Amino acid sequence: MQSSGLQPDSAVLAWAAQKFIPWSIKISTMTDGDYDYLIKLLALGDSGVGKTTFLYRYTDNKFNPKFITTVGIDFREKRVVYNSRGPNGSSGKAFKVHLQLWDTAGQERFRSLTTAFFRDAMGFLLMFDLTSQQSFLNVRNWMSQLQANAYCENPDIVLIGNKADLSDQREVNERQAKDLADKYGIPYFETSAATGQNVEKSVDTLLDLIMKRMEQCVDKTQVSDTANGGSSGKLESAKPEDRKCAC
Amino acid sequence: MTVEFNLNFLKELEQETVLEVLYRDQMLRKVDEERIRKLKTQLQQLRWKGAKNASHEYQERSCARCQKSLGLVMNRGAVCNGCSHRVCSECRICLNPYLWKCTICYAHGAMKVKTGEWFFEERAKKFPGEGRCETTGAKLLKSYQKLSKISVVPPTPPPFTESTAGKNTTELDQAKTFNKSVENLFLSLATHIRKISKSHDDVTADKSLLTTDYGQDANRRRERRSQSDTAINIASRIQNAPSLQQLIIGTRDNNAIFTKKGCRPGEDLPSSPLSDVVFSGGVKHGSLFSLNSTCTEADNFDKANVTGEIEFALSYIFKTCTLEVCINACKNLFYGEEKKKKCNPYVKTYLLPDKTARSKRKTVVRKGTVDPAFHETLKYKIDYSQLETRQLQISVWHAGVFKNRVFLGEVLIPLSSWNFEDNSMQSYNWYQLKAKSEDNQVQYSGELLVRAKMCLPSQPEKFRYEEHMMEGTEDQAAHGGQLHLVVLEAKNLPVLRSVGSLNSFVKGCLVLPDQRELKQKSPVLRKETCPRWKHLFVFDGVTPSQLQWAYLDLTIWNEASFGLSDRFLGGARLSTKEPISSTASNPQAKVLWQRILSRPNTWMDITLSLQSNKGVFTF
Repeated sequence: MQSSGLQPDSAVLAWAAQKFIPWSIKISTMTDGDYDYLIKLLALGDSGVGKTTFLYRYTDNKFNPKFITTVGIDFREKRVVYNSRGPNGSSGKAFKVHLQLWDTAGQERFRSLTTAFFRDAMGFLLMFDLTSQQSFLNVRNWMSQLQANAYCENPDIVLIGNKADLSDQREVNERQAKDLADKYGIPYFETSAATGQNVEKSVDTLLDLIMKRMEQCVDKTQVSDTANGGSSGKLESAKPEDRKCAC
Repeated sequence: MTVEFNLNFLKELEQETVLEVLYRDQMLRKVDEERIRKLKTQLQQLRWKGAKNASHEYQERSCARCQKSLGLVMNRGAVCNGCSHRVCSECRICLNPYLWKCTICYAHGAMKVKTGEWFFEERAKKFPGEGRCETTGAKLLKSYQKLSKISVVPPTPPPFTESTAGKNTTELDQAKTFNKSVENLFLSLATHIRKISKSHDDVTADKSLLTTDYGQDANRRRERRSQSDTAINIASRIQNAPSLQQLIIGTRDNNAIFTKKGCRPGEDLPSSPLSDVVFSGGVKHGSLFSLNSTCTEADNFDKANVTGEIEFALSYIFKTCTLEVCINACKNLFYGEEKKKKCNPYVKTYLLPDKTARSKRKTVVRKGTVDPAFHETLKYKIDYSQLETRQLQISVWHAGVFKNRVFLGEVLIPLSSWNFEDNSMQSYNWYQLKAKSEDNQVQYSGELLVRAKMCLPSQPEKFRYEEHMMEGTEDQAAHGGQLHLVVLEAKNLPVLRSVGSLNSFVKGCLVLPDQRELKQKSPVLRKETCPRWKHLFVFDGVTPSQLQWAYLDLTIWNEASFGLSDRFLGGARLSTKEPISSTASNPQAKVLWQRILSRPNTWMDITLSLQSNKGVFTF
């Protein structure tokens, strides 16, 4: 849904290639169950902000400038390797993560269908169009949709201002968007599906947040505060056989 | 016809798109379930391997995991924080310098994360009532498959008639709540799949705007960006064409109407989507059709004397659900501009009570004549069942200079009394033009489709319910009967500008002769401009004689957020009384009510036109 019709010139492409650092990503075959986590993310936002194109860039690293309205719902998949970082920054274990990236129609008339899918997602890519003030204003509505329909009151979300490459048509400045993201306490990225700028970074950040939350969900039942750097799946919740051992 | 079929074919394809996504999701889920199953067996094996048998080994100082005996001083083990078992140092997994877990606790936690169980646990905290692990996609797919199976069986009764014996209402209610969430989901899928088909039109229609080689067209792009969803909705509505289902229903109606005259064969169409009224089907057939007909219906036109006649014919094509108005000619019209002896007549039609542009059709303007010949066919896509609430208004106008219009006369045809099966009615006839009638000022605000039945237990039914009835007759008779009313859906509701979509619900209030009020309310259907509630109201303990003098008010509301008062969208009354003066526009209501009462235990499909005058209704 990126609306740029211009092919990025070679300088931009070169810059993008430089910028594009696949830090922990490795694609493997996608049909087997050989992965450690299935993480479901969902992209939402107004119609035409570039959700489909963004996901296409993320999964296939390609840019499709055509606008094709998403029919209700869709999803894409990608396998990545998640390197949990230890508390002291040392690299921890590597996990294979299967990402299911749900793409939703932004159009109002699909709304009841798409919001029904919110409850199955573990994290959200809330997108707006940097060249459309209205799509930015609607972020607040989307947030309340999320609060109502997502699996918990404060799910993991990243705010994404897309179409950053169209700087001459920009209507939303970075400060504004950053302030809003801070208000909600969520990260903010300015991305471009056309150039690939920040696309991976934003998804990885969301993935990171979810991995951290998973750990916390499992261990919060007992551990008060231990500096948990990140190696996932470490802790244990109270088990039914909850007797104190005397010996 | 072939064009329409191709379009439907595409729509089918697009419906497939969503299903294909759901099936893809199902495959992914299957792979994942298999993975989860493996993880769980692994954990189970790990448990068994190290399981400390509480019965006889418990006092023994040994590691709970590897069974190695523990010393009193050296290697005495420690208690695991998670399971409180004493384990040796080798069966611990250190998470950080201060925290460790025994192997099993670690594995159990890891499993929770890896299987996604953590997520369902969290979600269950927020939505406690719902199926724990079932995803929306799975539910949708399930309900779709269920429903598509049902629809294969030919003349099934509607889902709610299954337990219509009268005594089973509690069971019915239970079944209803049980199915409700799934059903709601399906409804939304169904409505969306129907809408989806339009998105294709959107894309093709706006192709020039949507492709990206704009060049100088930056402004157009801006336009497209700012185009609101509602605008797109309207645009797609205009592009609409009858769906395959409409065509099927049309033909079925066609067959059935001859056998069951006057009564819509709705019982035979269980989940019949009672398709949207789609106007503008005739756009491409040479008639003028303008969207901004701002105020020709208001009073800013000149009136001339009314003389002359108009010749036209009406026919209804059941196959395509099309009403055809063939305007042939006019004669002896009065001059639009008398002094100049000038007249440029054209004919305009509305399907009242809808006075919006959706229901407007025009012929071309014939210049300089008072005996114009038009030979034009104006078409309306509309369900046969809806015709009986409509009135065809055919008016003749003079197109003056500077958009100055002069009214030359009109003819009003109530379509409820029109016999479309009679071929003699389809031939051309001359009608006297009349002056404007000023009476019906009540504003139209859409239509409500309901299905009603008077349940009288004492009167045995003719068909398959017979056995049922034999059992429960005596005790039921004492309690009187039940009025069952299924609120199917509403169409052409006024869209609130501020909201864009509706969160609508229906209130039913049955006012008995002793002023007792029985009230019912449907659930709120969110974000639907054409809500399909399919909700059953049961008014219990009423006798036919009471109902003779009772009236039922059905009102539609938009749920307001933040404790504001709900907004009235429209209402309709069913009653045997002469309509209250201000609700004069629903003359059939009396007939319909009478029809329900006179045919107990039979479902009756009814289309009611909604009126905007809130004050007259009880709710």
